[in-house]
Amino acid sequence: MPQNPYLNVLVTVALTVLFIIVSSYGLGYLARYIARLFGSSPKKQENTFAGYFFAAPWIVGFLIFVVIPLGFSLYWSFTNYRIASGEPTVWVGAQNYQTILFEDDSFRASLINTLYLTVIGLPLQIGVALFLAVLLNQQLRGERIFRMSFYLPVILGFNTAVLLCWRLMLNTGTGIINQIIRSISTAFPPFNWLNRVVIYIQEVSAAFFLGLNTGKYNLLLKVIEAGFPAENRVPLWVQSPLWTKMSVVLLMVWGCGAMMLIFLAGLNNIPKELHEAAEVDGANPWQRFWKISFPLLTPYIFYNLVVGMISALQIFEPIFVLYRDNQPIVSSTISMVYYLWQKSFSHFEIGYGSAISWIVLVIILIITVIQFRLQDRWVTYDIY
Amino acid sequence: MKKYFPIIKSVVLYTVLTGATVLMSFPLFWMISSSLKTVQETNSPGVVWIPQNPTLEAYTAIFQNQDFLRSYFNSVFYVTLALVGTLISIAAVAYAFSRVDWPGRNVVFFLMLSTMMIPPQALIVPQYVFFNKLDWIGTFNPLIVPGYFAGGAAMIFLLRQAMSQIPKELDESAFVDGANHIQIWWEIILPLVKAPMATIATFLFVGLWNSLLTPLMYLQTVDLYTLPVYVSTLYNINQTVQPWPTIMTAAVLTTAPLIVVFFFAQRYILESVVVSGLKG
Repeated sequence: MPQNPYLNVLVTVALTVLFIIVSSYGLGYLARYIARLFGSSPKKQENTFAGYFFAAPWIVGFLIFVVIPLGFSLYWSFTNYRIASGEPTVWVGAQNYQTILFEDDSFRASLINTLYLTVIGLPLQIGVALFLAVLLNQQLRGERIFRMSFYLPVILGFNTAVLLCWRLMLNTGTGIINQIIRSISTAFPPFNWLNRVVIYIQEVSAAFFLGLNTGKYNLLLKVIEAGFPAENRVPLWVQSPLWTKMSVVLLMVWGCGAMMLIFLAGLNNIPKELHEAAEVDGANPWQRFWKISFPLLTPYIFYNLVVGMISALQIFEPIFVLYRDNQPIVSSTISMVYYLWQKSFSHFEIGYGSAISWIVLVIILIITVIQFRLQDRWVTYDIY
Repeated sequence: MKKYFPIIKSVVLYTVLTGATVLMSFPLFWMISSSLKTVQETNSPGVVWIPQNPTLEAYTAIFQNQDFLRSYFNSVFYVTLALVGTLISIAAVAYAFSRVDWPGRNVVFFLMLSTMMIPPQALIVPQYVFFNKLDWIGTFNPLIVPGYFAGGAAMIFLLRQAMSQIPKELDESAFVDGANHIQIWWEIILPLVKAPMATIATFLFVGLWNSLLTPLMYLQTVDLYTLPVYVSTLYNINQTVQPWPTIMTAAVLTTAPLIVVFFFAQRYILESVVVSGLKG
């Protein structure tokens, strides 16, 4: 292999392409041979060849990059395999799973943090997305520009560069967000009250969730004892374990554009006649939203909820960029995937990491199955 | 009184929407504004909305920073290489699922759809071991090669839907004229699905350009870092004063391609998100 990294890749890529072409022809000929054995017509044999020939990249890739890795990781999850250690790999049975599920505090923290994002973050995110979608659905001029600007955060989303900008803005002392909160608070007293109420609620709930993490509720008692926040309090964003998850929620709300598009599609599917009929009967817009649009949007809300939950398990970049160098607070916001990465690649405990991967996989499968089961019960699909 | 309602309504609507737009785009504004400031201004306790004397110092400095320029080149290089292979292989597989009738198609298609439920991160540990065995750690290979095997079930699905809508008679008459499947795929079908291909290319580009986890795992030396990895090293807790103008300049230059691509592709994206999103 050439030493130059760029040349090295180009050679590997050329070999990969060659491998794919060879395996495509191989799979195609094999399939045609089998079809001939079964006595298919020449036309059908030709189609069998073409089908497997064109689908081969995916089939081969599925075997190499999905099936085999999953098989190996299932096996390793029952061992104490570690890269870089000289010790022989030992079969340990279900011990990894037992440790993760019942003894591992960090795993428990990641589960509870996901719960926080689901219970507190997702309703906010879905609410804002729905609100924006309803506004955009009024057939305004310039709707496209608004739609673009609401979707742009999804594109920029979790790029490190954009997250660093958030870090600058979320700085507790000099960050622009707290500066704005401070100046509005001084100029307009009701906002000051609102700000303090929000801070209080947020800190109590965050302390409660942190208590769930450790099983000790000292922090919650301390927050309640400290009482209502003082007049000059501002959110602590990336500085305090009480606020780290809220910063992630802020990022989630900022990136609600994808959910908004799904709601827009849902709103478009609602027959106009329903609204017209209700209007004739004297329903005001507020009633029409809650009695017509909202029930018909439940499938979309449900879909967003499930997708949002699954992505909350997978949050990685915001935690890495905002908190990685502040070890004491990482555990207050750690996600399952971040924990998986930390465990597997800082200590190279492959066996343990594999067990975490399988647990993440199973949790996501369970959520998906529950989605399919429940959607019939919760959700209004039919109008007529 | 009643006749003023529509006017009041649209005034309120526009005000709220404009407010939301300002909030949503504020991080971008702040990024650009901060990149033009001095270090003192970015760390000062007072609000500096727009710098008093905008300075391009950070920009001239970053264009002389070899590490930054190299990471920019690395990103462009790896994204281009990965994008081309992924796009072509996805187009081939989507053709198999939409235009060819072969035994086992439904089974394979169902398998492909069910891989959408597997979170990619559940595979990183065994894949890392696999690439370690191949001695690929510290090269770009692990970031590029998997894509060549039609990575991305949702994208295949999106393209398959588009290809299914092309009338069947088109390929049949081409067959009669003696064309084979590869010719039909490349010369007839692909030109007809340019718009969905552009959408998919945009999604792939955004995903690759923003990707942090895998580059972080596989590129272990600074001369291989892609932009997200390099930019994340600019912020360092051990520095007492963060060089915010430099970081934000790097951020502006990192996000610029995303914004340009989004601007040109937004028409396709905003429509197709809905289609692909709901079937997932």
